[in-house]
Amino acid sequence: MSPRTAVRFPARVSLEQILDTLARDPDFKQLVTRWERIPPRRASYAEFPAWLDGRISATLRRRGILSLYSHQADALETTHAGKHTVVVTPTASGKTLCYDLPVIDAIAKDPTARALYIFPTKALAQDQLTELERLAKDVDIELKTYTYDGDTPPAVRAAIRSAGHVVITNPDMLHTGILPHHTKWVKLFENLRYVVLDELHTYRGVFGSNVANVLRRLRRVCAFYGSHPVFICTSATIANPEELARRHVEDEVVVIDKNGAPRGEKVLVFVNPPVVNQSLGVRKSALFTGRDIAATLLASGVQTIAFTRSRVSTELLLTYLRARFPQPQWPPDLVRGYRGGYLPSERRAIERGLRDGSVRGVVSTNALELGIDIGALQAAVLIGYPGTVASTWQQMGRAGRREELSAAFLVATSLPVDQYVVQHPDYVLQRSPEAGLVNPDNLHLLVQHLKCGAFEIPFERKERFGTEDTPGVLSYLDEQGILHEADGRYHWSAQSFPAEGMSLRTATSDNVVVVDQTDGKQRVIGEIDRFGAPLTLHEQAIYLHEGRQLQVERLDWENAKAYVREVKVDYYTQAGESVRIRVLDEFARQDSPRFGRAHGEVLVSAIATIYKKLTMYTHENIGWGKIHIPEQELQTTSFWLSLSAHATAGWPRERVEVALAGLGNLLHGLAPLLLMCDPHDLGLAVEVRSPHTELPTIYLFDMTPGGVGFSERLFKWTDALLERAREHLDSCGCGTGCPSCVGPAHALGHDVREAVADLLALR
Amino acid sequence: MNDLRARIAQIVERDRARIANGERGAKLAAPTETLSTRRDPSGLAAGFPSVATRPGAPTPGGPRSAPLADSSPPFVVHEKRIALDDLGLEIVGRGACDPLLVAHLGLKGDPPERWQDVLFLDTETTGLSGGTGTYVFLIGVAHFAGKELILRQHLLLDLGAERAFIAALKKEIEPFRACASYNGKSFDLPIIRTRFVMAIRSELTIDDSHLDLLHPARRLWRDRFGSTSLKQLEESVLDDGRIADVPGWLIPDAYFHYLRKRDPAIIAPVLEHNARDVISLVRITDRVARAVLAARTGRAPDHAPAAFALARGFERTGELDAAFACYESAYYDGDNALRAKLAIAFARHLERRGELERALRMMETLLDLGLGSSRWRGQAESRIRRLSKKRWRGLATAT
Repeated sequence: MSPRTAVRFPARVSLEQILDTLARDPDFKQLVTRWERIPPRRASYAEFPAWLDGRISATLRRRGILSLYSHQADALETTHAGKHTVVVTPTASGKTLCYDLPVIDAIAKDPTARALYIFPTKALAQDQLTELERLAKDVDIELKTYTYDGDTPPAVRAAIRSAGHVVITNPDMLHTGILPHHTKWVKLFENLRYVVLDELHTYRGVFGSNVANVLRRLRRVCAFYGSHPVFICTSATIANPEELARRHVEDEVVVIDKNGAPRGEKVLVFVNPPVVNQSLGVRKSALFTGRDIAATLLASGVQTIAFTRSRVSTELLLTYLRARFPQPQWPPDLVRGYRGGYLPSERRAIERGLRDGSVRGVVSTNALELGIDIGALQAAVLIGYPGTVASTWQQMGRAGRREELSAAFLVATSLPVDQYVVQHPDYVLQRSPEAGLVNPDNLHLLVQHLKCGAFEIPFERKERFGTEDTPGVLSYLDEQGILHEADGRYHWSAQSFPAEGMSLRTATSDNVVVVDQTDGKQRVIGEIDRFGAPLTLHEQAIYLHEGRQLQVERLDWENAKAYVREVKVDYYTQAGESVRIRVLDEFARQDSPRFGRAHGEVLVSAIATIYKKLTMYTHENIGWGKIHIPEQELQTTSFWLSLSAHATAGWPRERVEVALAGLGNLLHGLAPLLLMCDPHDLGLAVEVRSPHTELPTIYLFDMTPGGVGFSERLFKWTDALLERAREHLDSCGCGTGCPSCVGPAHALGHDVREAVADLLALR
Repeated sequence: MNDLRARIAQIVERDRARIANGERGAKLAAPTETLSTRRDPSGLAAGFPSVATRPGAPTPGGPRSAPLADSSPPFVVHEKRIALDDLGLEIVGRGACDPLLVAHLGLKGDPPERWQDVLFLDTETTGLSGGTGTYVFLIGVAHFAGKELILRQHLLLDLGAERAFIAALKKEIEPFRACASYNGKSFDLPIIRTRFVMAIRSELTIDDSHLDLLHPARRLWRDRFGSTSLKQLEESVLDDGRIADVPGWLIPDAYFHYLRKRDPAIIAPVLEHNARDVISLVRITDRVARAVLAARTGRAPDHAPAAFALARGFERTGELDAAFACYESAYYDGDNALRAKLAIAFARHLERRGELERALRMMETLLDLGLGSSRWRGQAESRIRRLSKKRWRGLATAT
């Protein structure tokens, strides 16, 4: 590929031609692991339903919409029949109309009707507001739409509460701002006809488990005012939309997943940057490879979006790209950045620019992955696997117009997950995507929300909130003086405001933040959960962040802050910890001749002991130090896999140790693929002889106290996980083991890959 | 089950520890104990040998595990009548309600016609943050009847009886057309409104006409006394400070403690506190009214910022002569900063009265002193130009 292209903007070369050139470029071809053409698909239409208010269908016809896509018509039918509905179709398939139409219809027929729209982020809410207002105005019905979130000025809040037909908000605001003050929203709750839950697939893990509990509280409040709203959910494609929706709505939900929207032809290219260091498994930076691709596209006038995984890489890529397109030959706004942390007005301007074509390229974090309206672009470049199949399709779907050709490139990093995906593109192309998991009955979360619920409306003695143990929890809180039982009801009896300071986005507000004080300024660049912090943020540790080496100068454990400063050294640090796992309760267990698997509740105790300084390339030990941080405890759920005596019969103890560590790394690296979670959501511990199983055992535990359901899934899907591990090991390009598969051979043992392969060959 | 309890216990404890670290949760526990064991001699017995009308008898001091027997659990109403003369009232409660006067008393909505239409009120709640989980457990209301002020305190004896409690309160409130409070606009009324919805799904309209005395009191006295808490004003304005009083922030915990122990001695000081608050509210209303009437008859307050505040009030009600008197008084008694603040408005009054020379002299003096922001100086200069022109025109027509 020839990155320095001489083509001058605005000379245009068609996307077809660029793809053709790329496909024939021998250097580029080497990097491509898959070149997939997805044929165009025709639309499937359906009539407007007869019951739809005439003003609405007339307006749509005026706009040139003469009929609905079949999935839109299906959604209208089910919601009209009062059935909870989840619509599962890709980006740009006209999902918005699936809920806007029933809502506008309801309000057109009954002006007292109300609807509540819940979006995962504020930015999305803003977008919907404009869209809905425009439609309502065209239909010419009185429909007042407001966003109610942290940015809403207090002066207009009263008007929104009483007059807003459609209130657009996010789960956090519902949790702290609306539900605890529901008496100010009498009009809304008395007449609530529809609740729209957009981007349902984002409500998974800890956040999703919290949101499911907020929805339980919402339904209690609705019941108090005598309304029983119909839930309309939309979701990206996931494996279990029905299950996820049912856990949130706690009732029957109809799934609509037959997409009736047309799609133009699409080319998907999987790119693996070249290896630069064989033994370390280090490849050329995905950022550079991605930059070259994006620059080629942009230079030819192809409107392109590039996704990165972090804010910092967004900025880096933006800088690199701007360097490629210097002024004054190129317009200054050719490429823009887009991420959280930009001002709302700035973001609105970028969105507008993308829609009207004045912005030709944008570099974004996953902020633009969700349904923000930026129109359809021609090409997408994904720097790094976004973490889930669902996100991958969402991001790739940002490029794709109804009639024209579009292209998407996925550029892999060196991470195990990325390497797996780029070497097994079918994982993305063929398989159904991940499941969205939630565990609303996680006791830690449930108790918090039960308190919020009691604050909102006293609990009846027999009332059930999620778990069957509700009466037990209530009577305990009564004894503790947090609730007060009187006249058969449990009343909130504390001064505090339980929703305050309780975040939906994390289970514990316990994170250690990393403060960069290079250049004398203090800047927060990241956070690490408290349980994992002792290993990476002990004093003197070299903390790697976006390719920079930062040394921890001071760890303020009490206040959960680690102060770091950029350094240039030729070593890295590796901390040792002693982890003990005590199995408190084994929920289920299944043995096979080679492996035993189980899941249950565990207490993980970890204490960081010492750290070593190792040289960059030769990994020689050039010093060490002690770590003084108190022992950490985590009570959670875990999956564990033990090797039977038969599996390692005749192996020397060292080989068992090496194989166990290597398999642990491999499974830990690949499990997020199955679980649709972040690698940090899962902890790893190995014991050569576990006191519980008395066998060599690998534990994969949930990093959220109490667990959000990962371990049970891993127990169910052990075979799939092992199969995936086997595939990945077979195709990893390294010789003896690298960080992308079982871990670096130099640290674990030269025979690590072979030993793990031996283990996996046995079933 | 035991296992579940242990696990919940762990969760609850951790949560508590977290809150205690950040806030004053830890401090709260200890003083509550001292409060509960203190037997206030001047409490319920001394202050209120009152008529307790109640639909059922509480079991005083009974353990909370033995809940109250009857099915419509109780609340009580303590009533007390106080002669207007004993309260030292001169204006409030006597004669008709002057609409121009009540406009100075923090009025929102239409002015009440008679003092008898106004319900003075103050609530005690289970928390200060508001929201649906904050209960009103005590509300003191007072109104005028003949030559007496009738104070009635509704006390909720158990949270389970809230519906009956609020229904009775609604009845109590209904005959009145207006209310008066101290900071009720942002605190008491929103909470009562919430309780009306929660308990009986009813709306509250009493504050369609509302005198919130906090605002006029602040304008009159904050500069002088620093704080304008009712307690401060009792000391500084009424010269009748409290000797023993429960600090407001301890009241919610006192009530929770009472719910568990059922000891009237725990709640007596809270009743006393609430009664004081309502009575002081009435007396402070009278003092604000007196200050207004005095200023109207030419006796502006000695304290310049208070006179300034009244002047602005009179401007709003269109009582220009009174406004002038107050500006003049504030100008002569005030410091230079205050003078600069009021000079432009004062000059307008002087101009209206034809005292152009005086207005010009005043503005020029203030400018010579180098006072005010540059923006103010710009305004002052343009005012001077305007005044000079007018004076020249005046001189020209005279000759």
